[in-house]
Amino acid sequence: MANVVLKNVKKVYDNKVVAVHDFNLDIADKEFIVFVGPSGCGKSTTLRMIAGLEDISEGTIEIDGEVVNDLQPKDRDIAMVFQNYALYPHMTVYDNIAFSLRLQKMPEDQVYEKVTNAAEILGITDYLLRKPRALSGGQRQRVAIGRAMVRNAKVFLMDEPLSNLDAKLRNQMRAEIILLRKKLDTTFVYVTHDQTEAMTLGDRIVIMKDGYIQQVGTPTEVFETPQNLFVAEFIGAPKMNIMKTDLIKENGKYYVTPFGTKIEVDGEKGALLAQKGIAPQELTLGVRPEHIILTKSGENAIPCTLEVNEMMGSELHLHVYTEDGTRIVLRVPTLELSAEERASLVSGKELHISFEGKVMHFFDKDSDQNLLYG
Amino acid sequence: MAKNTLNSGKRHMGIRAANALSNTAIYIILIIISIIWLIPFVCIVLQSFRVESTYQVGYVVPKQWGWDNYAKLLTSDFKQWYINTFVTALVTAALQTVIVLCMSYTLSRFRFKLRKPLMQFMLVLGMFPGMLTMIILYRVLKDLGLTQANAVPGLILVYIASSGMGYYVSKGFFDTIPKSLDEAARVDGATRAQVLYKIILPLAKPIVIYTILTAFMGPWGDYVFAKYVSMGTSSGMNVAVGMFGWLSQDQINSSYTMFCAGGVVVAIPVTILFLCLQKYYVEGVTGGAVKG
Amino acid sequence: MKKYSDLEYLKLSKWKRFLYKIASFFASIPAGIVNGLRKIGLFFKNLGLSIANFFKDLVMTFVHGTWPTKVSYVIMGFGNVARGQILRGLLFFVFEVVFIIYMVTTGSYWLSMLPSLGVTGPHEEYNAILDTYITVYGDNSFKILLYGVLTIFFIIAFVYTWYTNIKQNRISEQILKSGKRLKSGKDDLRSLVDDQFHRTLLALPMTGIVIFTVMPIVFMILVAFTNYDGTHDGYKNNLFSWVGLDNFNTMLSMGEGGSRSYAATFGEVLTWTLIWAFFATFTNYFLGMLVAMMINKKGIHFKKGFRTILVMTIAIPQFISLLYVSKMFSRNGIVNGMLLDIQWISEALPFWEEATWARVMVILVNIWIGIPYLMLIATGILMNIPQDLYESAKIDGANAWKQYTKITLPYMLFITGPYLLTSFTGNMNNFNVIYLLTTGGPTNPSAWSGATAVGYTDLLVTWLFKMTTGAESSYYMASVVGILIFVVVAVISLIVYGLLPSVKNEEDFQ
Repeated sequence: MANVVLKNVKKVYDNKVVAVHDFNLDIADKEFIVFVGPSGCGKSTTLRMIAGLEDISEGTIEIDGEVVNDLQPKDRDIAMVFQNYALYPHMTVYDNIAFSLRLQKMPEDQVYEKVTNAAEILGITDYLLRKPRALSGGQRQRVAIGRAMVRNAKVFLMDEPLSNLDAKLRNQMRAEIILLRKKLDTTFVYVTHDQTEAMTLGDRIVIMKDGYIQQVGTPTEVFETPQNLFVAEFIGAPKMNIMKTDLIKENGKYYVTPFGTKIEVDGEKGALLAQKGIAPQELTLGVRPEHIILTKSGENAIPCTLEVNEMMGSELHLHVYTEDGTRIVLRVPTLELSAEERASLVSGKELHISFEGKVMHFFDKDSDQNLLYG
Repeated sequence: MAKNTLNSGKRHMGIRAANALSNTAIYIILIIISIIWLIPFVCIVLQSFRVESTYQVGYVVPKQWGWDNYAKLLTSDFKQWYINTFVTALVTAALQTVIVLCMSYTLSRFRFKLRKPLMQFMLVLGMFPGMLTMIILYRVLKDLGLTQANAVPGLILVYIASSGMGYYVSKGFFDTIPKSLDEAARVDGATRAQVLYKIILPLAKPIVIYTILTAFMGPWGDYVFAKYVSMGTSSGMNVAVGMFGWLSQDQINSSYTMFCAGGVVVAIPVTILFLCLQKYYVEGVTGGAVKG
Repeated sequence: MKKYSDLEYLKLSKWKRFLYKIASFFASIPAGIVNGLRKIGLFFKNLGLSIANFFKDLVMTFVHGTWPTKVSYVIMGFGNVARGQILRGLLFFVFEVVFIIYMVTTGSYWLSMLPSLGVTGPHEEYNAILDTYITVYGDNSFKILLYGVLTIFFIIAFVYTWYTNIKQNRISEQILKSGKRLKSGKDDLRSLVDDQFHRTLLALPMTGIVIFTVMPIVFMILVAFTNYDGTHDGYKNNLFSWVGLDNFNTMLSMGEGGSRSYAATFGEVLTWTLIWAFFATFTNYFLGMLVAMMINKKGIHFKKGFRTILVMTIAIPQFISLLYVSKMFSRNGIVNGMLLDIQWISEALPFWEEATWARVMVILVNIWIGIPYLMLIATGILMNIPQDLYESAKIDGANAWKQYTKITLPYMLFITGPYLLTSFTGNMNNFNVIYLLTTGGPTNPSAWSGATAVGYTDLLVTWLFKMTTGAESSYYMASVVGILIFVVVAVISLIVYGLLPSVKNEEDFQ
């Protein structure tokens, strides 16, 4: 139970590769923070620096007000769950979980109490005497969590703990981690490359790329007001559609002109553009797939051709391309279409799509920064 | 076209028949190989029981059987050589294992500044013929009084002193133990030393046994170093140096069968030990070659 | 040379691709050399820079340092003690005291004698009590060289420690300035089992290596520039002294009585060593792989039995098996005896007596000794080849031979590349097999007629061994040969490592 503060943290590896640049972050007590980003973005390195498994090249890391740069992992009072679980193969489940407690020289009866208690919460009581190799992936995962749980550490670190599980188990474990978090009520730092995990688990999300923080914010913030194109594309699935277009201003109103149409930027977004005094310019326009709708041909409808129709159950993912070859994806709730309409959506069908001003995201065409929130 | 007929011919014969044929051929080859491999050992055992003559003869099966050669061993210096070698092997096995494991574990797990230069340095050192160092080591040991009759401690010192350079195989093994185990243990509150003996050593059993085994077997076969250190003093020789003398021009006629008997006595315990621990040896050797 | 793009390269015929690869290898040599030279240049530049830094640090630390730091330049560890790091300070101080005592008592003597390697040799001296002349021994060149080298090592160690002592003062000052606490003696001791655990673990092995390998090698390299041999043993017979490059000149000069030069003999021995290493390595490699494949074939029973029989040659100490086999094939041995008995031959075969016979025989016997190792290694690797590779090859229509040449062999070669190299250099220095089988013989009469005879199966190492034993031990030539062996092995290793595809990043395996 502690806050974690990273100040100007930098990591340079021996081969001069800079993995993390100038990382600044205040993690509040009992906060659940998620580092997310593509592989190689420095998220795991940052976590490992907090754990003390990597040296900190520059800057400081404080846990509970104390600078821990020179402390060994064992002296930092942290618990960690590893991606490949890192269970000690020669020990039983019980011994695995008890390992840290015994190192603290805790009396055996207390160890017993704590281990069995944790096992019960995680539902692994029946396997306490098994060796890790006799367990399934999900069970191993629970043991790894159990091992971290019994520590009552100040900070709970998790390094891609779900990435080795199959999709179904991952969903289940994700829910369990939320429950676990409620029970432990401590500071969590969680690393993942999966934006769904990040969105569902995190109080705040830190999105990283190439060693730089791209944005820090609550799931809603990063989803609704992405600071740059990278964040916009990274969060949300299928990813945001991107089109090159012009922003024009006529009679005090803003319009965008994708694919020869002219759509008014109305509502809140239009007001913001005006308020910020954004000049008409060429820019990158982003629209999320769920905000694009099928429409009839008309003035502001973009003609396109259906390429692939993915039936996802509750919704359809339609992959279309416009006349100039730009590919666009849209999500259509299955219930909005009649059976005939659905049946007619086959490859090659000519469609018309459109979207409204309030769902648009505007990015600078060169710097990729969000023009409104960047 | 021709290919096609060939294939169809094969098909007629049937996969099973073709397989049986090739298997038979392989069995014949393997049996011949086995015989070739065993002949010298069978010969040495048979000749160790030959009583009628002590020199080399042109036949294998003794005309007169007996334990005479073994009895003679007991009255010769062989007893001393055997004890020398055994003690050397035992102590070397223990100490060398500790040194090799220290070295290889460190080079596998720690990333300190001098690690790469150190490994390169040892690679270069290894390119010098080891024998070269014996000239000086012999003189130094002689000054310390650790040669000739006192060859055993001197020899042990020589064997273990540089054994750290033979870290490759066990380092290769340590490299296969996931590093995340170390990290997990360190996060769990273990010091580096505790990581070593609570996590790594229990997992490294095969390589520990391999190291002990090879360290134990080394002194039994070493000729060069033992020859230097004993310098012609019989009571300081190991079996290899001592028995080599039995086959010299002037001794071979009186000692050849004794050599055979001695060979059997030396080989039996080492071979049994080896065959019992074969599994670990194979693991070590294979791992070592794969890792390079 | 024309450079092809990837797509152009793929259009070439197989033969042309092969030629292209070879041509590109040779074309890359100049760049490689330039690169190597640049690295060497860079190395010296860095060396110069670090030396400059070393002195700059010394001066700057002194100028900016507090008074305990300044005192530490003379009394090591003073700064540590003054700042409460008693343990470290004492260790530094004790080391300094030991060093000074050593240098004053003996070190300076050894050092001063090093340039001459001794002045007074053994000589007759009149003894008044016995009323006769007795031999008096003077200086000991061997000890002078040995302890001289030792003293130089000690001085280097001292300078390094002195520098560390000063550096620590500077670091301590910085730490104190930033308001942090210094490590106590207890912290230091604790860190030896934790973050500094590698130092603890390496202390013993490295001490052994430095004393028993590094120092002797330095010593022996120096011996190559002296006339140390059986008659100049440095104490009892004659002193030995520095002779500069004379021994290397001998290497190139003509032998006595118009026989061949040392270099020619060396060349002969080297040629045979390389031939031997080549055959010993590759016969074992391919035959061992073959045997492994036969034993591991599906449907073959008694796998374990066959394997056990083969590994007997590993289990039984080599001196027994090799000496015994050597005698089996000797003139009076069993093989000749039996062949004569059944009248296949009328006269004993000269297995070890003629050059070609002996050379073929050592290679054959080495196969007997070596196949089992390779069989074990190959078995391990073969079992690790993913089965789906073979399955997909079969579906693609590959027969057994194609599967071997296209999958098994490349896989094996890739994985065992570095092993092949070590095995090659190991065979170059394979003392046991040659010495126990033939002791290097039969003697080569046309070889250099210097002190040490050489045989047709002598490798460089066995030749070297012979030079160092016996009455006429010519240690200086042994050193020269030893240095040359090092050069040969190093060159081969460099070339092969340059060519190997799997010169790998060791981390790739982790």
